Amino acid sequence: MAKKKYLLGFSPDIVNEAIVYRLVKDYDLKINILRAEVRELGGRLLMEVEGKAANIKEAAGYLNEAKVDVQELATYVEKNEERCTHCGMCISICPVEALIMERPSWKVRYDSEKCIACGMCIDACPPGAIKFRI
Amino acid sequence: MKRTVEEINQKIRDGDVVVMTAEEVASYVQSEGVERAAKEVDVVTTGTFGAMCSSGAFLNFGHSEPPIRMQKVTLNDVPAYTGIAAVDAYIGATELKLDDHKEYGGAHVIEELVSGKAVRLKASSDGTDCYPRKEIDTFVSLHSMNQAYLFNPRNAYQNYAAGTNSSERTLYTYMGKLLQNYGNITYSSAGQLSPLLKDPSLRTIGIGTRIFLGGGTGYVAWEGTQFRTNVETKFGAPVGGARSLATVGDLRGMSPEFVRALNLPGYGVSLGMGVGVPIPVLDEDVMRAAALSDEQLFAPLIDYSVQSRNRRPIKHLSYAELRSGRVELFGKEVRTSSLSSYLKARQIAETLAERIENGEFLLTEPVAQLPSDRSVGTLEVRSREEAV
Repeated sequence: MAKKKYLLGFSPDIVNEAIVYRLVKDYDLKINILRAEVRELGGRLLMEVEGKAANIKEAAGYLNEAKVDVQELATYVEKNEERCTHCGMCISICPVEALIMERPSWKVRYDSEKCIACGMCIDACPPGAIKFRI
Repeated sequence: MKRTVEEINQKIRDGDVVVMTAEEVASYVQSEGVERAAKEVDVVTTGTFGAMCSSGAFLNFGHSEPPIRMQKVTLNDVPAYTGIAAVDAYIGATELKLDDHKEYGGAHVIEELVSGKAVRLKASSDGTDCYPRKEIDTFVSLHSMNQAYLFNPRNAYQNYAAGTNSSERTLYTYMGKLLQNYGNITYSSAGQLSPLLKDPSLRTIGIGTRIFLGGGTGYVAWEGTQFRTNVETKFGAPVGGARSLATVGDLRGMSPEFVRALNLPGYGVSLGMGVGVPIPVLDEDVMRAAALSDEQLFAPLIDYSVQSRNRRPIKHLSYAELRSGRVELFGKEVRTSSLSSYLKARQIAETLAERIENGEFLLTEPVAQLPSDRSVGTLEVRSREEAV
């Protein structure tokens, strides 16, 4: 089983497509939708996908055909190491403990595996070191 | 055991001074005892890096041709105070950019200057016979200005309350983001590394004390604002906000690593300042205090949903508990966050120790002691007669 993070972009003409339904039904994927929005310029869907590697690959092909912009993400947020002062303000804000104060170095580490893209850390960071990648 | 600052300085010149950071000495005293540590160690270095709102810089831009007596000044569109001489100004850390949504302010201007960048200076004036010019729009940098020095009215607070939030909504405070229903706890002091906690009655720190300021060298200028001495103590150290320092130092020689603009959403802009103070080990009493550990230093926990200056502490927490990452509160485990960087506090104490060991930084005797008896008054709405 493989697990991947994707950001999908939809142009206004295809926002009505039941994309997620197809991904579940036809490709047997477990979808965890983290963020979804529809605006004037189209829609965006941030999700975590779990399933057989081959199925994920085929699903990506389907999405391409359906004119969905598919972007695979390594991480949801990016921590600017130069900007980060390692104060640790983000630590108690993160609901899933994806931001960790390492001891004894007292450096803040971001664990992208645990991150659920809630974004709560972003406006909690005093030096503005954490940004969404989307 | 007794030693003087002059004896320590001679050892620094001779290259055989023994320096430890406040963190190192805390564990050294636990294993070897105060007596031995006091005998062996000449200087204990401290450090803190946190949001210090009461900071800012005096600048002198030089005179233009024809000259201008500046009456309104902005730097990168952040207003600076210019109600002083013609081309002098003071840029305060928390001043916000005109028309900005609280994201850019004086602290950013200061950080950009320290980084060697140019900032846009706009000034206007009514014009006078001796200063006919009415407007100027130009760029200045640390290279172009005559003087550019921090003068921070309140730095290195001796301890500070930790914050939490009992209400039903997230609060955006100068103590950071406080989650509802006691969702987290934030704290600010560097605890066992914090300068004024390691010389609690300021025996060795006073006016004129040479310090590490923002990566460069600075001095203690005066007592900090809201300086108070009448605070309850444990192990000789105050268990709440007490003394503070007014500091001064040239922006040239400072580093953006230790002068960093901070933005606390919903509150505003502040300046992350790095401050380090060397403590000369004059006797065992100085060592005993300098070696206080996080287990022996306490902060009051305040509920920030109470919007009053009369907030009673919920309880006192040791810095060991706060720094552990989890604290028990009303039977529930609550996670903690520090607003100040322990990593940078440690780097400051280590850098200061290196500078002393390398003979680049000599210790000073205070020119004058800071007050030993001070309380903090309040502001009331009162008549002219009641105010005097």
